Amino acid sequence: MTLNYIVFAASALLFGGSAVVALAWAMRKGQLENFQRGATSIFDADEPIGRVTDSFPGQKPKPAGGATKRS
Amino acid sequence: MSDTRREKSSSPASPAPRGGKAIGRASDRGGSVERPIDPERAARRRFRVDESTRVPVLTFFTGGAFWLLAGSILALLASIKLHTPEFLDGASWLTFGRVRPAHLNTMIYGWASPTGIGVILWLTARLAKAELRFPRLLVAAAVVWNVAVLWGTIGILRGEGTSIEWIEFPPYVPPLLVLAFSIVALSVATTFHDRGEAHVYVSQWYIFGAIFWFPWLYTVVELLMVYRPMAGSPQASVNWWFAHNVLGLWLTPIGLATIYYLIPKVLGRPVHSYYLSIVGFWSLALFYNWAGAHHLIGGPVPAWLVTVSIVASMMMLIPVGTVAINHHFTMVGRFAILKYSPTLRFIVFGAMSYTAVSVQGSFQSLRDWNEVTHFTHYTIAHAHLGVYSFFTMTMFGALYYIMPRLTRWEWASARLIRVHFWGTAGGMAIYWIGLTWGGVLQGAAMNDPKVPFLDIVKMMIPYLWSRSLAGVLMTTGHVAFAALFTMNMLHLGKRRYEPTLLDDPREYARLIASPPAWEETPAS
Repeated sequence: MTLNYIVFAASALLFGGSAVVALAWAMRKGQLENFQRGATSIFDADEPIGRVTDSFPGQKPKPAGGATKRS
Repeated sequence: MSDTRREKSSSPASPAPRGGKAIGRASDRGGSVERPIDPERAARRRFRVDESTRVPVLTFFTGGAFWLLAGSILALLASIKLHTPEFLDGASWLTFGRVRPAHLNTMIYGWASPTGIGVILWLTARLAKAELRFPRLLVAAAVVWNVAVLWGTIGILRGEGTSIEWIEFPPYVPPLLVLAFSIVALSVATTFHDRGEAHVYVSQWYIFGAIFWFPWLYTVVELLMVYRPMAGSPQASVNWWFAHNVLGLWLTPIGLATIYYLIPKVLGRPVHSYYLSIVGFWSLALFYNWAGAHHLIGGPVPAWLVTVSIVASMMMLIPVGTVAINHHFTMVGRFAILKYSPTLRFIVFGAMSYTAVSVQGSFQSLRDWNEVTHFTHYTIAHAHLGVYSFFTMTMFGALYYIMPRLTRWEWASARLIRVHFWGTAGGMAIYWIGLTWGGVLQGAAMNDPKVPFLDIVKMMIPYLWSRSLAGVLMTTGHVAFAALFTMNMLHLGKRRYEPTLLDDPREYARLIASPPAWEETPAS
């Protein structure tokens, strides 16, 4: 039974605590500011906002085979 | 060639709508489009990132596809036995009590988890804009994971299952799963640490949630239920705390991370309200963990525990509302694309199911409702709406997007994708309607002491047939998917130079209002 209480207490502290630490980290680093920029962070210069990307990647004006040779 | 590329890509941000609906117009939400990096470098970087995830992610996917088929067969066996008990009743290892847990565990630990892990790895690398760390170790992790699932499934069929729902694998399996999982967590954390993108996108938050919550749930439940079992009714509380949270804190964050990345990415349109998406994540983190005890309403557990879980279940309307609003308003005006894009069709089906299953879940946790519907087929329909209609369909959508980018081979047949979609979606609809309807009748009859139990058993037979019919449809879809998957992995079939769309590509091109990319290149 002691083991059970230890598991309960440790896991509650560990995981509750890590969530609090993560939230504090996010606020300190400014992750929770400027939401507009955050929303656009998944777009790139070659897959910008406004481009529908559900097409075969090799056929777009884009990397596939050629890209590796160069890099 | 490269000049054309640069020229073409430097101005795609403002595609003049060419007739039809103005879909895909740039910056309709404000915000700058161009980033301070040139398109070709961005493309090359993303190619390298995708390339680094190729072997481990495809290994996880292959295992997932195999267990999807195995789990479907086990599901059909279990379902048929419910209305035709004499079916294959000769062998002890094919009895319902073994086939059904084998189905559940192969689907959760064989199909859903490895596929989810594959998507997590790919998404983490993409979001971090950095190459995936430890690809070889990850392949080893995938192998260990699948061996463990195979071993555990055989164990269950041999009758060594623990008989605790959702963790039936015999005690020698969990350490292997935990070992494989810690490699995954290590790789995700290291990739994130070395990221090239400063902003932590909302999908990444969900991925971290999944990565840290799942080992917690799993080790705690194994410790308290299998290795050092607790005595008495607290077992039930721990059992349902875990079972509910496998969906809520493991599969749900993966599904939502995928949806939050792929809907905006496929449409080329930022998520409607990024603020709401962050609120959604933190409110899910706060509330979901409390909700499990609503499975024990009326059971021998303290009333306050159940009440807290009902309150938490109702509070879940907040994160669910934010997700529903966000996904709907990101899609508004673009629904026509669902006719063409396989990825989007599956993902949006999953996103809508998420809203449906969560709202249903909140309200069925209320005592009056629960009294009738719980411990009936109704709950089975609800669970499948969550794990199948929401999570599995979302994973299918993700695979349709990710696979061609890793194998560099387009999907072989639009017709097979249609079979896959309509088989699974139609099967799921029949399944849910049949068992929900049957479950309410069953619950009402069981609450009436005047109805003999055997009458209720007989009354359920037609509904159980509808479940088997649904299972056949879904399995048909899975076979079509497995065929597509194999052809894609082995580069079988004719090489395609255009995306595999579900309808006329010309119409699609007009729809997205900018000249489609695959027509742009060869002109130079």
